[in-house]
Amino acid sequence: MQSEVIALRSPRARTETTAWLGMIIFLGSWAMLFAALFFAYGVLRFGAMQWPPAGTPVLPVLLPAGNTLVILASSVALQLGLGAARRGRASLVAPAVGASLLLGLGFLALQTLLWMRLIGSGLRPQNGPYASVFYAFTAFHAVHVAGGIVALAWLLIRALQGAFTPARHLHLRLWTLYWHFVGAVWLLLFVTLFAL
Amino acid sequence: MTAHNETGELQPIHHEPTSFFLKYLWSTDHKMIAKQFMWAGLVFLLIGGTLAMMIRWQWAFPGAPVPILGSILLRGSGGVIGPAQYMTIFTTHGLIMIFFAITPLLIGMFGNFLIPLQIGARDMAFPWLNALSFWMYALSLVLVIASLFGNLGPAGAGWTTYPPLSTNLGTPGSGQTLMVAAVFVTGVGSIMGGVNYVTTIIRLRAPGMDYFRMPLTIWGLFLTAILNVLFVPVLGSAAFLLLLDRMFGTQFFIAGSVTGAPAGDPIMFQHLFWIFGHPEVYILILPAWGIIGDLFSFFSRKPANFYRGTVGAMIAVTVLSAVVYGHHMFQTGMSPMLGKSFMVLTLIISIPSVMLVLNWLRTLWGGSIRLTVPMLFALGTMFVFGVGGLTGLYLGAVVPDIYLHDTMFVVGHFHFTMAAASFLATFAGLYFWFPKMFGKRLNDTLGKIHFWMSSVFITLVFGGQLLAGYAGQSRRLYDPYQYSFLTRLHGLNRWTSYAAFLLLLGQFVFIFNFFRTMFFVKASGMEANPWQVSTLEWAIPSPPPYHNFDTIPIVVRGPHEFANPVVLERLGRDWIGQAEELPEAMPGSARKAGT
Repeated sequence: MQSEVIALRSPRARTETTAWLGMIIFLGSWAMLFAALFFAYGVLRFGAMQWPPAGTPVLPVLLPAGNTLVILASSVALQLGLGAARRGRASLVAPAVGASLLLGLGFLALQTLLWMRLIGSGLRPQNGPYASVFYAFTAFHAVHVAGGIVALAWLLIRALQGAFTPARHLHLRLWTLYWHFVGAVWLLLFVTLFAL
Repeated sequence: MTAHNETGELQPIHHEPTSFFLKYLWSTDHKMIAKQFMWAGLVFLLIGGTLAMMIRWQWAFPGAPVPILGSILLRGSGGVIGPAQYMTIFTTHGLIMIFFAITPLLIGMFGNFLIPLQIGARDMAFPWLNALSFWMYALSLVLVIASLFGNLGPAGAGWTTYPPLSTNLGTPGSGQTLMVAAVFVTGVGSIMGGVNYVTTIIRLRAPGMDYFRMPLTIWGLFLTAILNVLFVPVLGSAAFLLLLDRMFGTQFFIAGSVTGAPAGDPIMFQHLFWIFGHPEVYILILPAWGIIGDLFSFFSRKPANFYRGTVGAMIAVTVLSAVVYGHHMFQTGMSPMLGKSFMVLTLIISIPSVMLVLNWLRTLWGGSIRLTVPMLFALGTMFVFGVGGLTGLYLGAVVPDIYLHDTMFVVGHFHFTMAAASFLATFAGLYFWFPKMFGKRLNDTLGKIHFWMSSVFITLVFGGQLLAGYAGQSRRLYDPYQYSFLTRLHGLNRWTSYAAFLLLLGQFVFIFNFFRTMFFVKASGMEANPWQVSTLEWAIPSPPPYHNFDTIPIVVRGPHEFANPVVLERLGRDWIGQAEELPEAMPGSARKAGT
């Protein structure tokens, strides 16, 4: 009967699955927001006679490519931290989360450098859709990175206190999911804004 | 009984907080959050309704000073509505009604109150997120109120906020900016609520509460929450880009440029808006369908006809709603091929819709109908939704839409579906669950007066709009009679306005009934299950205790268990609860029940 099915998993595991499902649904919802933004970008880009328009500074590729590696490395570091927590290797969790946090900060620093360079070269948000898309999308993404960094700092404190054990690491698991999502959005941004 | 304890352990009983702040303000109790949504939603429903009266006044007596309201709100112009003020009035009316009145009432109030109670849970999956969702909504209300006092007046670009009118070129005031920000913020709140509803329904159903044993109300709220989660973010993106255009000078929607460089695309906003906007009309009607589907069964004392078919039709409408948005844009230079595809998809929606209505009629057919106040409102909902649905066929087909586009016919159509049907269904639900929320019943006679005034006058008001639109009156005209061919519609419009004023008058009957019952009627003497129905929330005391269920119920049957001869023989009544054990024989006979 019902009892056998339910008794297979502990209440804590079931509550954690609920939280995990909630995070998946939330990220799916938020993905729709980015999907709509990319749709708008597509409409503007394919409707334009020339992209980038003549006389507009072209976005660099090398710096954002490096930045892509930085945020991917940050995602990998956090995933390693989660794996360490799962296997009970508590001493490795905090260094992994810390590395992820530093790489996240590095990403924001490089983004700031990119914005300053482009503003210096005369590209302003008011310069038309090409510039509007670049500034709006990277800034909106950076807000998500900044939110993740706050969470990572909190996770680092918790990790230093030894809070993450094989049985209890829900918050680490949820924020890892979020961080991968932010990384994946950046990958899409890099490919469509800079590479193509 | 292992299942029992395990489920209970999953949702431990918490003590009710006693401090004012935690009990009434930052409450994580879904029932209190539902009441917060109810109060805020009802207040804004009244504000939105009052604004509608000012629009109707202008169409009945253009240029005449508005009585009572004019002396308060329009002191500067001697009570007369000017053209710019008229724009802000209909804009604010539309946005308030959709985002800040009907959404919080149908989804915020009923969703929060009913989901845990009807699926047998002690609270939502994420109570804290639930409280945050309400306070996001409250923050958006602050922005709405601030927008009313913006420099250059409130928002004035219509509820659809199409650019370029909604950019700084058309409405440079801060009122428009604040209103767009309010829509963004309330959207974030809706997403939080939606995530919570979907997760709760997937994860926290009581043992035995299969998907096909859920009340239709829960199905409606579930599908609405899914649409909210998927499509409110699209509105969020449109509002976000519009805010950037307004505040930082980006050029997403501003077309044309002296330099000839590529510019933004105002039509793109319409795509984003309607990708959200069409699902939105179903977001507002699905909970209403669910509620009246349940009420028809409850008050016909019969199981809902073809329950699975009704659920399937609701799912079909939900899926189709995502792929028909183009029918709002037939007149925006869309390729005729694309228009035709959208037309076909749109008209296909009538198949599941008709199936819903036929199932409701078959539920009523041959039932022992009890014309209680909630039942009357449910019947009224079905009627106005029928009119709204049928007029939708004219607009969904390309050829008649070329003539009817942007006329009052459109206004009448969407008011029948989104306004009248949602409005009447909200009251059906409110009269029905008021005893569960507050432990006392609203007065029946006053309720019936309220019903007749609401349903008759709402039909006349929106029917008058359909007629005026068919005769050629464009929507949003400040003074329609400046066009000589519309002068003959003045009488029709004036009579429609009289119906609107009586509709408002009828709402004061409800307000009186509501406050009288809430504050001056003692909560005693009401039977535990006044409507004699089988869903889980009526098996516990009214109002429910803080943790809802002392032990999580084990559900053994569907939500509409009526007119079962075995139940009648053994229990002496025509209904049995969803988690109630059917005794082996009549109680009191020699065989012990349930052993």
